[in-house]
Amino acid sequence: MAKGSPTKKPKKSEQPEYIRIKFDLPRPYHWSTGRYLGKLYAEAKENKKLMANRCPKCKEIKVHAPTPVCPKCKVDMGWDWVELPQTGTVFQYTYQVYPLWDPHVGGRWANPHPPAIILLDNGVYLRHLLEETDTKKLREGMRVQAVWEEDYEKRGQGFQDILYFRTIEE
Amino acid sequence: MAKRVAIVAVAQTKYHPNRADVNEGELAYEAIKQVLEETGLTLSDIDSAVTCCQDAWDGRTIASLNLQHVVGAHFGHEFTVAEDGINAAYVAMSQVLSGHHEIVLVESHMKESQGDKSLIENAAFDAILMRQLGLDFTSAAALQARRYMDKYGITPEQCAKAVVRNHSNAKNNPFAQGPMDIAVDDVLRSRMLVSPIRLLDTKPISDGACAMVMTTEEKAKKLARKPVWIMGVSNCYETHYLGDRELADCGALVKAAKKAYSMAGINDPLSQIDVAEISTEYSYQEPLWMEGLGFCGRGEGGKLVDSRTIEMGGQLPVNPSGGVLPGNPNTVAGMARVAEAVLQLRGEAGARQVKGAKVALAHGYTGICGQLQAVMILANI
Amino acid sequence: MAGRVAIVGVGQTHHTTRRDDVNLPEMVGEAVRAALADAQLSIKDIEAFIFSNMEAFEGILLPEHGMITEVGATGKPGLKVTGGGTTGSEAVGEGCHMISAGLYDITMVISWQKHDCGDATAGISAAAVPTFAKGMVTGAVSEFAKQALSYMKESGAREEHAAMVRLKADRGACRNPYSHLKLGLKSIDEVLQSPYLVWPIRLYDFCPQSCGACVLVLASEKKAKKIHKKPVWVADFEVVHQEPFRAGSFGDPTGTETYSQHVACERLYKRNGITNVRKQVDLAEIYEPSTWEEMSLYEHFYFCEKNEGWKLIEKGVTNIEGDFPVNCSGGVIASNPIGATPVLRIAEAALQIRGDAGEHQATRDIKTAIATALGGPNWTAMFLLKRS
Repeated sequence: MAKGSPTKKPKKSEQPEYIRIKFDLPRPYHWSTGRYLGKLYAEAKENKKLMANRCPKCKEIKVHAPTPVCPKCKVDMGWDWVELPQTGTVFQYTYQVYPLWDPHVGGRWANPHPPAIILLDNGVYLRHLLEETDTKKLREGMRVQAVWEEDYEKRGQGFQDILYFRTIEE
Repeated sequence: MAKRVAIVAVAQTKYHPNRADVNEGELAYEAIKQVLEETGLTLSDIDSAVTCCQDAWDGRTIASLNLQHVVGAHFGHEFTVAEDGINAAYVAMSQVLSGHHEIVLVESHMKESQGDKSLIENAAFDAILMRQLGLDFTSAAALQARRYMDKYGITPEQCAKAVVRNHSNAKNNPFAQGPMDIAVDDVLRSRMLVSPIRLLDTKPISDGACAMVMTTEEKAKKLARKPVWIMGVSNCYETHYLGDRELADCGALVKAAKKAYSMAGINDPLSQIDVAEISTEYSYQEPLWMEGLGFCGRGEGGKLVDSRTIEMGGQLPVNPSGGVLPGNPNTVAGMARVAEAVLQLRGEAGARQVKGAKVALAHGYTGICGQLQAVMILANI
Repeated sequence: MAGRVAIVGVGQTHHTTRRDDVNLPEMVGEAVRAALADAQLSIKDIEAFIFSNMEAFEGILLPEHGMITEVGATGKPGLKVTGGGTTGSEAVGEGCHMISAGLYDITMVISWQKHDCGDATAGISAAAVPTFAKGMVTGAVSEFAKQALSYMKESGAREEHAAMVRLKADRGACRNPYSHLKLGLKSIDEVLQSPYLVWPIRLYDFCPQSCGACVLVLASEKKAKKIHKKPVWVADFEVVHQEPFRAGSFGDPTGTETYSQHVACERLYKRNGITNVRKQVDLAEIYEPSTWEEMSLYEHFYFCEKNEGWKLIEKGVTNIEGDFPVNCSGGVIASNPIGATPVLRIAEAALQIRGDAGEHQATRDIKTAIATALGGPNWTAMFLLKRS
C-alpha cells in the first residue's frame, strides 16, 4: 500500500440487504433548434433535402450541426447554405454487438443499423446509419443512398428524417 | 491585492420568458458578440473561456458542448463552472491573476423555458433523505422564509415592499424582462405558491445570457476606456441538510462578505459602498441577504426595507436594475449582477444610474436556500 | 505561471463496481481523509475546495452541495468544475490558479464518480445534441470503435497488440491495491475470447465504470516544503478543447483533422524545452479509454513515430520495467471513475515521482512525469510534474 494512505478496503458482504424504493420522475425538456439547425430541420421536413452551411472564410462545409460560428476560423458563418448530395460511399462502418443503455431509447438495445461514416459525393463526410443489418454484407467503398421517412407527418426529426443509407447495386 | 484584474466589457441579452427562436449556443453568442464588438477583439484573441452552465438545466451531458463554437474553444482553453455565474467571474479573475491567461471571456446562459424548473431543482436534494419529499428550491425557500420571518418578525408587507421596489427600479432597465406596475397589495393578494411565498414574491421563468471580458491591468488600458477593477471576491459553502442549518441566518453569506470586504478594505459597507446588486429569487431574501452583507444588524432587514436607505437616491441603493425578481434566469443571475455593477461604475447605467458610483457590490448564490454564497466588490478607481 | 504550486497530499479510494457500503459523501470522505493523512494536515488547514465530477452519471444537480459537511468544506470557499473527461484536470488546474493568483496557499481538489448510481454509456450518449444526434452515438464505445478501425488500417496494428495492452494494464492493476479491474489475465488468447461490444472493441479492450474518488492537496511554494518532505511540482499544464461531432471524435478517419493532443504537446513541450520526450521525461500516466487508443496516444504524444505505437507495446518499452513506463497503475482501462480519472493520473504520476507507488513503482528512477486526460470530443489536458 502506498505510504500514508490509510483508506480501508471495503469488506465484501455476503448478500447485502437492499431496501428498494421506487421513485420515477420523468424530466421533460423542450429544446430549441435555433436558427441554424432550424433551417436544417425545415428543409428536411418540407423538401427532403439535407443542408449544411459554409464558412465565408475557410469555405469548409459544416455538416454536423450547422452553427452560427465557424469553429476553426471563429468568424460568423453568415447564411450560405449548401445542399448536400444524397449518395456517397461508405468510408468506415462499425456495428453494435452488445446491447448498451441508450437514454434516447429508454433502455438497453443494440441498434441493428450499423453506424457509418459516409463520404458524400461532394467530398463531405457524414455520420449516419446504414440500412444493411447483415454485417457480412458490409464493406468499405459500398455505394449508398439516403432513404427518407416518406410520411410528411412523421418527418420533423431533423437529421433523423433520413432513416438510413441503403446500399445501391453497382 | 497587489496586481489587479479588470473587467473591460459586459453584455446581457434582454431577459425573456421564452427564447424558442434560439438554441443555447446562439443565445450565448448574442451576448458574446456584443463584448467582442465593444473591445474590438475576435474569438481568436481569447486566451481562455470560462463558461457557466449545468447539465441538468440544459438537458444534456457536458452542457458546454453547446458553446464550444461560440466561445472560440477550437484548440483553445474552455472551462466550465457548475454554479451561479458570479462564481465563473471569480474563476476568470483567478485565471488572469495567476498569470496563466491574459484575456478571458466569461459566459453564462440559461433557458429556464426548456425544462421543468421544479423537477430539475428536485435533483439537487439528497436522494436518500430529502428528494422524495418532493422539495424544490421554492418549497425549501418557503421553509427558510417562514423560519426567518417568525424568528425576527419580518412581515409579508416588508417582503412585498422589496418586490415593489425591484419592479419599479426595473422599469429603467432596458434588459429587464417584464417589470410590473404593482403595489404591496397586489403582492399580498397574489396566488399562494408555498406558504409564505406567493406568486409575486418570486420571479417568472426566464431565458437569457450574459458575457464579459476580463484582463490584466496592462491590457485593460488598451481594451477599455473605463476598466472596472475587481477589488475583492470570495464565496462560502453552507451545510446541505436543511435540518442542520439555522435558516433564519445566512452564515455562509456573512463569511463570504467578510472575506470580500477585507480584500477590498471595506469595514463599513453602508458608507463605503455606493451601489449594490444582490440576487434575490424570493422576496424574503432581500432583507435576509442584506443582514448577511452587514447592511444592517441581525433581524433588522425588515426595517431596512422599510427605510429609504436602499431606494434610488438613498445612502446605498440596492438593485437599481431591478435585480432578479422581475425575471432573470438561474445561473445567469449572479453574473448579471456583476454586469450591472460594471455599468454603474462606468456611468453607463442610463436611467438607473446611481450618480458618482465608485464602489459597487455584486452578489450571487447557488443552490438550496443559498447554500453557496458569493460576493464581489468592484471599483472604478 | 506566477507562483509555483506543488502536490503535497494524495488520497484515493479503492475503485470498484459498486460501493454498497457507503453513500456518496462517505465515499468521497474516505479519499479526503486519506489525502489529509498523506499530507499530514488537518482539514482546518485547507483554505479552498475545487470539486470535479460529471453530473450526468449520478443524476444530481449541484452534486457537491450534498457532501459539504462530510468533506469538511462547511464555512469555506469553493466551487465545482464540470466538463467531459478532462474535468478532473481542469479542477486541478483551477486549484493551481487559485494558489498562483495569491488567493490561497493550500487548496484541495476533490474528484469522484459513483457509477453505481447510473450508467456511464447512457450518460455519455446523452452528450449527443438532443436536436441532432439522437440515437447515433452509443456512448464512448462506438466512438472508440471508429478510432480502433482507423488505427488498425493505418498502422498495421492487430488485435493481438490490443490484447498486449490489456495484459500490461492488468499486470499493473494487480500490483495496485486501489485499482478496480484486477483480472489476472495470463495470455493474449484469454483477452481475445472476450465478447465484442461494438466491433472491433471487445469487453476487455475497454474501460470499466468505477466508483471511486481521488483527492489532491495543493500548496504554494512557501508552504509546500514545510508540509511534505517530497512535494511534487506542477511545472506546467495545458488544456485544449475542440468543437463536438466531427466525423470521428477520437480517431480522425478522414485524415483531415488536427488532433488536440498534438496541439497540447506542441505548446507544453515548447514552453518547457522538451524536444525528445522519451529522453527528457521519465514516465507517463495517460488517459486511455481503450487499448487501441493507448497505442494511438503514444504517437500523438510523440513517444514514438506515427504508426509505431503498437511496436512500443510489442517490445515492452512501456512496461513497468521498461525504458519509458506508461500507466504502471493499470491506467484507465483498469479503473475509471470518470470525474476522478484525470486526477488519478496526476496522483499516480506524483506517487511515482515520490517513489511511493509501492508494488507498482516503476523500475527506473522517475524525476519528471506527464499526466494526461482525454475528454469527449477529443479534448486533451496535459500536466508536467517534477520532483523537488
